[in-house]
Amino acid sequence: MNLPDPNAFSLDINDPADAELIEYFLAELPDRIDSIEAAFSNDDYDALSRVAHQLKGAAPGFGFPTIGTEAGKLEQHIRSISDPAEGIDGLRSQVESLISLCSSYIKPV
Amino acid sequence: MTEVQIHPDTSGTPTVLLIDDSQFVHRLLDARLRSESIILRGAEDGQLGIKMAIEDPPALILLDLDMPVMDGFETLRMLKEDPRTRDVPVIVLSGMNSSQDKVAAFDLGAIDFVTKPFELTELRARVRSSLKMYALLQMLAQKAQIDGLSGLYNRQYFDERFRNEFDRTIRHGQALSVAMIDIDHFKSVNDTYGHPAGDSVISGVAKLITQETRSIDICCRYGGEEFALIMPETEPEQAMQLCDRIRAKCEQITWSRHPTRPVTISVGVVGMFDGQSLSTTPEAWIEAADRNLYDAKQCGRNQVKATGIDGTSIGRAKAG
Repeated sequence: MNLPDPNAFSLDINDPADAELIEYFLAELPDRIDSIEAAFSNDDYDALSRVAHQLKGAAPGFGFPTIGTEAGKLEQHIRSISDPAEGIDGLRSQVESLISLCSSYIKPV
Repeated sequence: MTEVQIHPDTSGTPTVLLIDDSQFVHRLLDARLRSESIILRGAEDGQLGIKMAIEDPPALILLDLDMPVMDGFETLRMLKEDPRTRDVPVIVLSGMNSSQDKVAAFDLGAIDFVTKPFELTELRARVRSSLKMYALLQMLAQKAQIDGLSGLYNRQYFDERFRNEFDRTIRHGQALSVAMIDIDHFKSVNDTYGHPAGDSVISGVAKLITQETRSIDICCRYGGEEFALIMPETEPEQAMQLCDRIRAKCEQITWSRHPTRPVTISVGVVGMFDGQSLSTTPEAWIEAADRNLYDAKQCGRNQVKATGIDGTSIGRAKAG
């Protein structure tokens, strides 16, 4: 399991309030991964872009800048393709890469 | 979409309204701003945010630009178009750090701009500075309506407020009364005991008027030694009684600067009865009150003369 980036600004893992935020974010992540998977398999690119956008904006504030960067790439990718069917392979690899990154932070059950 | 009440309501503490579609941001800012003395309320879309801002105007709005359905620009435009929310400062939050967006947001009336991800100290500083500016603006706006010497509303406020009360009365057929109150022989107080004595008579009478009126009444300093009193939902007889109580108390005041010299007031009241419909103007109303005041002065001062707006005689109240 990966730990939150200790260099992420504004966050201190030893601070109880910050630890609470990190915990909240990690608890929310499985739901987001589900949303990403569902949106992708339903070809719902609006929903996919929305989840990616929210993660891009929020993840760095919770101490996970790499998730933010990866989500940003996915959002960018969706915006750049005019015909989704055309860029589906690239999109699939973006989605998979974001999901595997997110999963790496989640405690194994 | 649900309304998220994060902190319990505490009066006097400024409310900050966060409009953002991401629960992450709500959670993050709730934690990040917990140390500030603010009440943070949240809306997850623009429409709910606007509704909440109208119902209970916050001291500051933090507005996300990039939201589905109604985006931040549209929300901002609507907030700035509505007179009920126009003056509330808005800090725009955005993940897009483009100057074009910043310029567009400022053009629409945003007071500041913060980019995501948030830098904690910067965000707090910007929130604080916006709240401070808003408090100062509120204070200035209020001061602009208050007369310095008497602490009552000033003439400008009276004119505006009376027009509003007048319109409301005409629309709903409710009773309304207005009194013009003038201090008798005020010039001789000034001439005999000096201007500081005159000033304390002005502020003393103002204080008396404030004490003797109800919370719905609007007390104003009309100019010089003249006061104007708007009494909403009050018929002329009732207004006359209220003013006569002020008159009676006034003549009993012992003034520290001139204990042997009492001060009296004369009052002209004009009122409209409940359910009465009549075509008149605010100007005509004030003129009629002035005529009653003049009449009270002519008939010996220290008295209240009241009539209906249609000229009906109501009566005269004086000592004894």
